[in-house]
Amino acid sequence: MARAVTPRRKAINSAVAWTLAILIFFPIFWTVLTSFKTEAQAIADPPLFFNFDWTLENYVTVQERSNYFRHFWNSVVISVGSTLLGVIIAVPAAWAMAFVPGKQTKNVLMWMLSTKMLPPVGVLVPIYLIFRNVGLLDTRTGLVIVLTLINLPIIVWMLYTYFREIPGEILEAARMDGATLRSEILYVLTPMAVPGIASTVLLNIILAWNEAFWTLNLTAANAAPLTAFIASYSSPEGLFYAKLSAASTMAIAPILIMGWFSQKQLVRGLTFGAVK
Amino acid sequence: MATQHSRAAARFMIAPSVLLLLGWMLIPLGMTIYFSLLRYNLLMPGNNPFVGFENYSYFLSDPTFLTAMLNTLLLVGGVLLITTVGGILLALLIDQPIWGQGIVRILVIAPFFVMPTVSALVWKNMFMNPVNGLFAWVADLMGLQPYDFLASAPLLSIIGMVSWTWLPFATLILLTALQSLDSEQLEAAEMDGAGPVSRFFHIMLPHLARAITVVILIQTIFHLSIFAEILVTTNGGPGVASTNLTYLVYAESLLRFDVGTGSAGGVVAIILANIVAIFLMRMIGKNLDA
Repeated sequence: MARAVTPRRKAINSAVAWTLAILIFFPIFWTVLTSFKTEAQAIADPPLFFNFDWTLENYVTVQERSNYFRHFWNSVVISVGSTLLGVIIAVPAAWAMAFVPGKQTKNVLMWMLSTKMLPPVGVLVPIYLIFRNVGLLDTRTGLVIVLTLINLPIIVWMLYTYFREIPGEILEAARMDGATLRSEILYVLTPMAVPGIASTVLLNIILAWNEAFWTLNLTAANAAPLTAFIASYSSPEGLFYAKLSAASTMAIAPILIMGWFSQKQLVRGLTFGAVK
Repeated sequence: MATQHSRAAARFMIAPSVLLLLGWMLIPLGMTIYFSLLRYNLLMPGNNPFVGFENYSYFLSDPTFLTAMLNTLLLVGGVLLITTVGGILLALLIDQPIWGQGIVRILVIAPFFVMPTVSALVWKNMFMNPVNGLFAWVADLMGLQPYDFLASAPLLSIIGMVSWTWLPFATLILLTALQSLDSEQLEAAEMDGAGPVSRFFHIMLPHLARAITVVILIQTIFHLSIFAEILVTTNGGPGVASTNLTYLVYAESLLRFDVGTGSAGGVVAIILANIVAIFLMRMIGKNLDA
């Protein structure tokens, strides 16, 4: 919607937009900046912006004191594991619904979505007790299972909206040319489906990485991903702003970068295709 | 192209997803309802007698429940108000021709990717802390007394934190919707002498109506379950000043180990969420036909 405006108007709009954007981004900037200060500099009055001795000490301390990378690795395993498992289960379902739609397809899709509306706290107690009884509390396996199930509806939906955009005529053309079902899937459909699957994977890793209800309630020291590890800073000892910042920076950096790359998919995925 | 054969194959392909979700929904849900009818406390082992609706009457008549309901509504309402109004304004602004639009967009969307525990602890300590926080320093510069946000206005502070995370979400969705608006329509209106205000109310707002509804409904689903932000900042306090329904159920079940009452609270939360869900499902269902 690029319409012509006067240069003056453009300058004012730009100034306001940039000011707001910088204000909104500031807490992230400040966290990253603080992570390079010493604890004393982190609480200095007046606050220090760039005029301090940059140090990587906090990153080292966080790792040494609390084995940071164990929790980082837990986050990786849980988010990637649950996403891949979910995609493996969801691809056939989304595929079938997109290419062989039946009378019930819409109802099945809507019903799947409705499971996502179930508030987690409504099933917290049974899941907690089941996990306690079968020894899944505080295990990565347990969290992979739960996160796979809570994100499965989103994965099916996203894949479905992508697959539905693959034109059926291409399949017919391939068939006319004598393609077998196997080569049809392998050489015609798969290449067209890959971008959609990749976007789905990306968005769901982000969602699983930041999930903070089940990860907080079902883990303790052992399987705690970063969401739960960072929560341990809510009752700290002594000065800790710089260390909190270092731990936070490492926790949000990978996902922030992935997020910037997946803005469009985010809209589609989180609105279940209602806004594109 | 849908033959008998391919239909059967399709059913076979859909089955795993459906069965898993069915199990995920029905088993815990059935257990929650069952537990909610028992006197069941993990600290008191022994048999768990059936008590009918006793847990419900206990949970619903507890004054904390009313506070938690009110807090839940304020939390959801407050965040929705800030993010929706703010999101519309920001989206309209970013949609204008501005320098560095791509970078502005990236900066604005960033908070949405920050995990809730990080966002809550950064706000709590580095900004809202009455001694070392940046807000205290700013207040000091302006000659004001520092304000202990989380002790004096816990709910409002949490509304602020959550809004910071979700304003980007609303902005991104509304911006996407705005960019699909036909610019010829706007230009035609402009030619006919419609001012910016009437263009907004008569063309843009109707065009955005659907996206706004989606933003509101999806956020409501998420905000009914706000938990991490409360857990790491106030633990529901001071007292129960920032306890919402989700936190109350958590406290009953996993802090006081009262499985029966916690489950009754869980059922109440499910009913509440379902009321919202029905509206959301209708919206999305309509889109499937389109």
